[in-house]
Amino acid sequence: MSNTIELTGDFQSAAVPEEQIFRTCDITGFKVDLRSEKLIKYNAVAAVVSLLMAVTAALLLVFTRYQPVHLLNAEWYYRLVTFHGLNALIFWIIFFEVAGLYFGSTVILNTRFSSPKTGWVAFWLMVAGLVISNYYILIGKADVMLTSYTPLKAHPMYYLGVILFAVGAIIAVVLFFGNLMIARRERTYGDSLPLVAYGFMTAAIIALITLASGAIIYIPTFLWSLGLVENVDPAMYKLIWWGLGHSSQQINVAAMVSIWYMVSFLTVGGTSINERVSRTAFVLYILFICLASAHHLLTDPGVSSAWKVWNTSYAMYLAVLASMIHAFAVPSSFESAQRRWGYNKGLFEWLSKAPWSNPAFSSIILAVIGFGFIGGTTGVIFGMEQTNIIVHNTIAIPGHFKGTVVIGTTLTFMGITYYLIPLIFRKKISGMGWAKWQPWLFFIGIALLSISMIVLGQLGVPRRHWDSTFSGGPFTYNFNPAVDFFWALMMIGGTLAFISVCIWIGIVVTSVFFGKPVNGPEDMQLKISPLAPPEKKHKGGFEAPGTLVLTFIFLLVFLALFFLNWKWLAATWYVK
Amino acid sequence: MSLLSPVEGWYYKKVSKDEKMWVLISLVLCIMLFIWMVMWHVYGKQNPSSTTYKTSTIEFTQLSEAYIKKNMIGVDNGIPVVRPEPNSDVFLMAEMWRWSPVLILEINQAYRMHISSKDVVHGLSIQPVNMNFQVYPTYDYLLEFKPTEPGEYKVVCNEFCGIGHHTMIGKIVVIEKEEDLALYGYQDMKKSPAATVEKDDGEPMSDADKAILGEQVFTLKGCGACHKTDGTVLIGPSWKGLYGKEEKVKEGNKVFSVVVDDDYIRESILEPSKKLTVGFENLVMPQVPMNDEEIDYVIAFIKSLKD
Repeated sequence: MSNTIELTGDFQSAAVPEEQIFRTCDITGFKVDLRSEKLIKYNAVAAVVSLLMAVTAALLLVFTRYQPVHLLNAEWYYRLVTFHGLNALIFWIIFFEVAGLYFGSTVILNTRFSSPKTGWVAFWLMVAGLVISNYYILIGKADVMLTSYTPLKAHPMYYLGVILFAVGAIIAVVLFFGNLMIARRERTYGDSLPLVAYGFMTAAIIALITLASGAIIYIPTFLWSLGLVENVDPAMYKLIWWGLGHSSQQINVAAMVSIWYMVSFLTVGGTSINERVSRTAFVLYILFICLASAHHLLTDPGVSSAWKVWNTSYAMYLAVLASMIHAFAVPSSFESAQRRWGYNKGLFEWLSKAPWSNPAFSSIILAVIGFGFIGGTTGVIFGMEQTNIIVHNTIAIPGHFKGTVVIGTTLTFMGITYYLIPLIFRKKISGMGWAKWQPWLFFIGIALLSISMIVLGQLGVPRRHWDSTFSGGPFTYNFNPAVDFFWALMMIGGTLAFISVCIWIGIVVTSVFFGKPVNGPEDMQLKISPLAPPEKKHKGGFEAPGTLVLTFIFLLVFLALFFLNWKWLAATWYVK
Repeated sequence: MSLLSPVEGWYYKKVSKDEKMWVLISLVLCIMLFIWMVMWHVYGKQNPSSTTYKTSTIEFTQLSEAYIKKNMIGVDNGIPVVRPEPNSDVFLMAEMWRWSPVLILEINQAYRMHISSKDVVHGLSIQPVNMNFQVYPTYDYLLEFKPTEPGEYKVVCNEFCGIGHHTMIGKIVVIEKEEDLALYGYQDMKKSPAATVEKDDGEPMSDADKAILGEQVFTLKGCGACHKTDGTVLIGPSWKGLYGKEEKVKEGNKVFSVVVDDDYIRESILEPSKKLTVGFENLVMPQVPMNDEEIDYVIAFIKSLKD
């Protein structure tokens, strides 16, 4: 890397000497901007705090829906559903992603942070948004769910809190591009962006589109809650809100997949077996996720079937294709590297000899499995126009996104934290023994929770519903007796996952605040692998036969679930 | 190398055989998914309709109330029961927190259901057949249903619609033959007594007649979603023994007692948020549009429930 940095005059940091800005990492060799590092730390801490709030609420919710316990009253149940949604899906994820964006645009590009002061403005705006929204939810002025479908109305300050948070996040994304521009201009990396930075850039581009959608709908809703706008059309609201709600999940996917590639590099020295293919897949995300909100209107009035079918798929589901490509490219990057390290026996030696005791590695592999087999399969099937009829608004929907956002994104973020603690916080991980099985516990917990919710939903159980015995209603309904079993399973899964998150937070907090400092590579508990040796001679045959077999198994599972769901649909009443 | 710039020549590296194969299979699968949805419109029997009418909450409320008044044949737990003709237009109204009317349908007959909401967004979820659709205010969604199995079905609300969301449950009964009505206790339903009271000009109506009409208003307007008439307290105070009772109410920050009389009931209907009964302050009653006559009938009905 070039050491002479030409600091151009139009950035505020230009006057500060280089040695005061940077430290050179004695483990990775990257030049780390200390101001960027501080921002990364603060955003990561805010993320962890949000996650703690989210999971605390989640546990109370699980024990409310589990009817034999039925913990909370109706008011607090709905209040905490709102609270949980906002903290889990927005605050935890976006704070962590901002930390990731700063990391991806400065540390791994050896570059400085474009405007740290603005970074702090963004951070405090986001914190203010978090505090205001959470406060108004908890005092009972915003019992409207995360989606806040009009004409349900919350206190204006609730919407304002969300808007402040979004503005902060938009500023953070703009800073990411600023950093990228400096890196480009100062040529701090080679000719092309590293794949991870490229993936983060994808996330950032989608984030801008998404947050703009959020602004388009929250601002009029805020004005409406103040009485300045007479009416916010409920169908229009839902359409645009999901431009935020669903498309933002593609930010998560892009960030998560980037981290998957990063962990392949860190743990086994691997990279995508064909970077052009991987990068093309990232571009597909940007181009074909624009109208992801169409998935949420499949059984709604107001839009026609032609609109629904076209906009969920653009004729060929290219955003799905992108994920399918990564589903091959990520595991094959591990496989290819492992094979080059000599684990070449049979189809799966690369997997059995993988660094399973590294919690970052196990997190990522489990995240890939959960995201694909639980989240991915159900996502595609539930997102088809007609099959949506048998799951819309049932608890299968949150079951699906527990598979994507919780096993996929959250477990990935937890996993990469095991590298961030020594590399960014410069602390040794305390409790490595706990760390080794934390990802497994989390995976098992959420898998049980998620699969139970999907089954319950297929049996018709509604989501966001306080009492499935319908007490006080004119009639009652008894769901299929099988639900009792799955409610119990869901409760067990939720409890295990909660324990696992507590362990993770415990590890993070004790390491960061009370851990032993990292003074050099000898203190590194997790291996950072050197690059896998180059291939001897490419035979032109299969590069990752093990991965190919695994993806075929995935395909079979998908097809089985696909036909099962269509079979169930075909058994319902006729409707047109 | 994902953390470093890719190696020289990365752009021109040939895609390996297995990756090429997987991408191709995936692409074919994705195209098939699209074609599948289109083909289901041609050959499948379950497709969300594309027909929506723009309406207003007031217009749809009037339409569905008129529809129920004309066709109601009885009452089931405070909810009017309607038995529509096959191939007719049916109005199904969602409101906080009930579905009305209860429907009696015949198997393998089609019904054009107009579905809309009087207030917030609701979710139509027919169980156990598990069919789910979104219901908006101001949009009249036209879905043509053809039930294929006889039995008793419940209509659950699966979109959060306020604190009473879990009490929002309606009913659809699908019969094969006339005798099946007995299975659901509907064998004697012809026209309900409430619906037969006709307003006669000239002679003033008796209190008993007014009370019967009041019960009809109670049923039609959905008061029963919150107020019970048997003394149990649900979301609002029970109407049993309410008339003439002394109640503690809150107006602004003042707390004082009032006697429940004609004027107080009238005021509570017209301005529900003015005086709040102590114990029920957290949930303000929604504004239910009613004319003077309807309010008179409701007062008469509450009077008739005086223990």
